[in-house]
Amino acid sequence: MRDLAPSLAAMLSSPGWSDVVVLSAAVDDGPRLTGSRVSLEVSSHPESLDGQLLVVLLADDHTDWRIDALISRASAAGAGALLLAGVEPLGRGAQLLAERLQLPVLGCSDPLAAHEYLRRVTAEPEVVRSELVLRAVAALRRASDDLTSVLRTTSDVLERPVTLAGTDGGTLAGEPLEADERTALVGALPRVPVAWAAPYRVDLPSGAVLIAVAVVGVGPVCWLVARLPRVVPAEVAAVPDVLSVVAPAVGERLALRRLELERDARQRTSLLGELLHGEPSEATRRRAVDLGWQLDGWHTGIRIGAEGQVDVAGRRTDVVEAFDAEGLRAVVVEQGDGWSAWVTAVREPTATEVQQQAAVIRRVHRRLVQTVDAYVGVGRVQPGPSGIATTLAEAGDAAGLARGRAETGRFLHVDRLGLAQLLLAWTRTDTFQPAAQALLAPIKDQPGDLVTTLAVYLDTESSLAETAAVLGIHRNTAAARISKIQHLLGVDLTNPDERLALHLASRTSPTE
Amino acid sequence: MGTVIREQDLGALVVGVTLLGSGGGGDTGAFGRMLRRRLGAGELVLRDAADVAGVSVSPIGVVGATSVLMEKLPGGGEFDAAVRAVSRWTGTEVTGLMSLEADGLNGLTPLIAALDLGLPVVDADLMGRALPRLDQFSWAVAGRSLTPCALSEPSGQVIVVDNVDAAGLERAVRSFVAHTGGWAVLALAPTPVEAAAADAVQGSLTRALALGRAHAALEPGATPAVVAEDLGGRLLGTGRVEEVARHLIGDGGAAFGRGSVCVVDAGSRAVIRIETENEYLLALVDGTPVATTPDLLCVLDRRTLQPIAVDAIRSGDEILVLALPGPAWWRRADRITHVGPQAFGLACAPQLLEAS
Repeated sequence: MRDLAPSLAAMLSSPGWSDVVVLSAAVDDGPRLTGSRVSLEVSSHPESLDGQLLVVLLADDHTDWRIDALISRASAAGAGALLLAGVEPLGRGAQLLAERLQLPVLGCSDPLAAHEYLRRVTAEPEVVRSELVLRAVAALRRASDDLTSVLRTTSDVLERPVTLAGTDGGTLAGEPLEADERTALVGALPRVPVAWAAPYRVDLPSGAVLIAVAVVGVGPVCWLVARLPRVVPAEVAAVPDVLSVVAPAVGERLALRRLELERDARQRTSLLGELLHGEPSEATRRRAVDLGWQLDGWHTGIRIGAEGQVDVAGRRTDVVEAFDAEGLRAVVVEQGDGWSAWVTAVREPTATEVQQQAAVIRRVHRRLVQTVDAYVGVGRVQPGPSGIATTLAEAGDAAGLARGRAETGRFLHVDRLGLAQLLLAWTRTDTFQPAAQALLAPIKDQPGDLVTTLAVYLDTESSLAETAAVLGIHRNTAAARISKIQHLLGVDLTNPDERLALHLASRTSPTE
Repeated sequence: MGTVIREQDLGALVVGVTLLGSGGGGDTGAFGRMLRRRLGAGELVLRDAADVAGVSVSPIGVVGATSVLMEKLPGGGEFDAAVRAVSRWTGTEVTGLMSLEADGLNGLTPLIAALDLGLPVVDADLMGRALPRLDQFSWAVAGRSLTPCALSEPSGQVIVVDNVDAAGLERAVRSFVAHTGGWAVLALAPTPVEAAAADAVQGSLTRALALGRAHAALEPGATPAVVAEDLGGRLLGTGRVEEVARHLIGDGGAAFGRGSVCVVDAGSRAVIRIETENEYLLALVDGTPVATTPDLLCVLDRRTLQPIAVDAIRSGDEILVLALPGPAWWRRADRITHVGPQAFGLACAPQLLEAS
C-alpha cells in the first residue's frame, strides 16, 4: 500500500483537498501519507498511526492547549500529519511545537470529506478510477458538439487542466502548456503513434506529470494531455483511463470540424473556379456576396504556395490570421497546393499605395513562413470581376518564379519587374540554370560549337541559311550540326514546347 | 513555639507569599507597605494552632478585584468592621485570626489585622496557595459551612451573609463588591482553633517565609537549575516568552480571563506552554502536561529572579518556569478534584511533583 501513498504536497494540490490549508509552517514536499484515521475529538489518544493522517472532526478552538497536547501525541504515535476541523490559525505554541516535531498541521472546513478522499486514494485506487471514468462518461453525454466544451468537461471532471496538443506540443485547444513542458512532452512522444498504445506518462523536473493519449482520426495526429501538478499515485493511475474514454469523443469532434472545413473549402474553391472562367453569372455573383466577396473594385491577387505536404484546408485559418494580424482584409481560398487570395479596393490605388500594400503583404509572408514553408507572388492591380482572374494569374506566375528565388526572400511582385523581365530574370535563377545546363549537357563538349549553333539557329527563326551566314560556315555544315544536335538531344526542334525550352536554356550565361 | 516575624523578614515574606500565589494572589505592594509601617520595630509571632488552645479564630482576608486596590485604597477600618460584625452576629468574641489564603496580599492582610486589633495570628489558612473561588476554601471542601460571615468595604458598608452554601456566598460576594468598591474584607465566623485548623492548611506562612529566605539567599546570576533546587522545586524551562494570548471565557457567574503563555526553552528549544486564569494552572512541555494545580507554577524574571504575575507577563520577557510542590493538604484524592486542572475546565489529570 505504501507505493500508493502520496506526498502531503501532492495531496494539497489534489482536487479532493482543495479546501485544505496548512496551519503550521509551510511544508516542502512533506511526508508521504499512508492513509487516514479519523478521531472525534482533540482529547483522543491515537495508537500507532504509521504515517497516516490523523483527522480530528471536532476542534473548535485552535488555540486550545489540547491542540498542543494532541500534536505531541500524534507525533509520538507516528502520524504523517494532523488535520483539524476549521481553518483558524493555530496558537503560537502549537505552531512552534508542530515545527519542532516536524508534524504538519492542516485545517479544513470539511475534515470528513478530506479524510474520505485520502482514504480512497490510498486504499481504494480502483474506486477512484472507476468513479472518475463514470463521471467522465456521464459528463461527455451532456457536452455539446463543440471541441472546447469536451475539453472543458474533461477538465471539470478531473479538476485538472486538459490540453489538446499537436505533435509539436503546440496547443490546438484548451489550456496551453508551458514551453519546457512542451519540450519534455515532444521528447517523450513517438512521431507516429499507435492507436492502441498505452497512454504516455511524462514526469517533469518540477514534479508535475503529463499524461498523454493519442487522438487518432481524420487529419494529423494530436494528443490529449492532462497536467497533474504532483503525483498522487491513484490519480496518476486513473487519469489515463479517463483520457482514453475522452479521446474518441475528441476525435469525433475533430472529424466534424474537419468536415465543416472541407465543405467550406470546396465551396470557396468552386466559386473561385467559376470566377476564373470569364464574366461571372448572376448566380455566381450571388454566391460571392453570400461569402462576403466583393467582385467590383480594384483587386490585387496574391498567390501563396506551400512546399511539401501541407494541410491546405486545415491551415487556412493560419493564413487568414496572418492577414488579419497585418490589418489586411483579404479573401483567402484554398487552391491546389496553396492559397489564392486577393485584396479589393473601392477605387484605383495610387502607385504609393500599391507599394505600401506590397510591403504589408511581404510582412504577411514573413509571418507565414514561421509555420508554413511558403512562397508568395503578387499580381498587378486589376479592375472588375474579371480582374480577379487576371491578377491571380499574374500572381500565380510570380509565385512560380518566387519559389526558386531565395535572394528575393521567395517573394515576387509583378508590378515591380514587368512580366518579360521576370521571365528573363527567371533564366538566371538557381533553379533554372542547372536545368538548362542539364538540358544542353549532351551537346556541350562536342566539336563544332553546337551550343552557339543551336542558339543562333533558334534566334534566326530556324533558318539554316541565316545561321550559316551568322556563324560564317557553309549551309551544309549548319544542317549537319542541327541534325547532330537533334540526334544528341533526342528532341524534335519543330515541336514549339521543346524549342522554347532549348531557346531559354541557350540564354543562360554562356560562360557557365 | 511559632515563627517570629520582624522588620528584616518582611522582604522575604512578601516574596514567599507571592511565590505561593502561583502567578496570582494579587499585588502585595500596598499591604506590604502597610504591614511594614504597622510592624515598625516590633515583632509578630505566627502561632501554631496547638499553642493557642481555646482561641476562637476568624479566617480573614480581602476578596474581590485585588487589582482595584491600586486605586481604591484601604481606609484602615475594614478589618475591624468585618470582625466586629461577625462577632456580633454569632455572639462569639473573635480572639484570634487566621488567613483565608496564605499567599499574595492575603498572606499579609491577617498580619495587619492582627496588629490593628491586637489579636494573635495562627499560621493556618484555607488554601495554602492562591485559588480563585470561595468553594475552593478547605473548609468548604471538608464540608464545613462558610457562613455566617461578614463583608466590609472601604466606604464603611458592612453586610452579613448567612444560611447559604459556598456557591451562593460566591454570588453574594461578587454582586456586593461589584456594586461597591470592587473589593471587600471577608471575615468568617469565629471557630474554636482546634476545629478551624483541623480543616485548614497548616504552616503556609512559615513556608512562605522559608521560601522567601531561600530566594533572598540566591546568588545573583544563579543558574536556573540552582534556583529550582534552592527553592525546592523543579525547573520546567528557561527562555523567552513568544506569545501571551488572553481571552475571556464565561463560566457561569464567574468570568475569568483565560490565557496562555508560550515560551521556547533556550537550551532544548522545547516549547513550553502555560495555561492561565488568575493563576498559572497547567504547564505543558512539547505538548505533554508536566505540572498542574494544586502544585505551584512560578514564573521568575531570569535576570532579577523576581516572580512575575499572570497579569504582568509580556511577550519578550526572559523567564524561568518552575514547579514547586503545592500544599500537601490538597493531595488527597477526594480533595484534589476541587483544585486540580479539571476544576478549572482543563481536561487533564493532575501532574504533581513527588511529595518531598
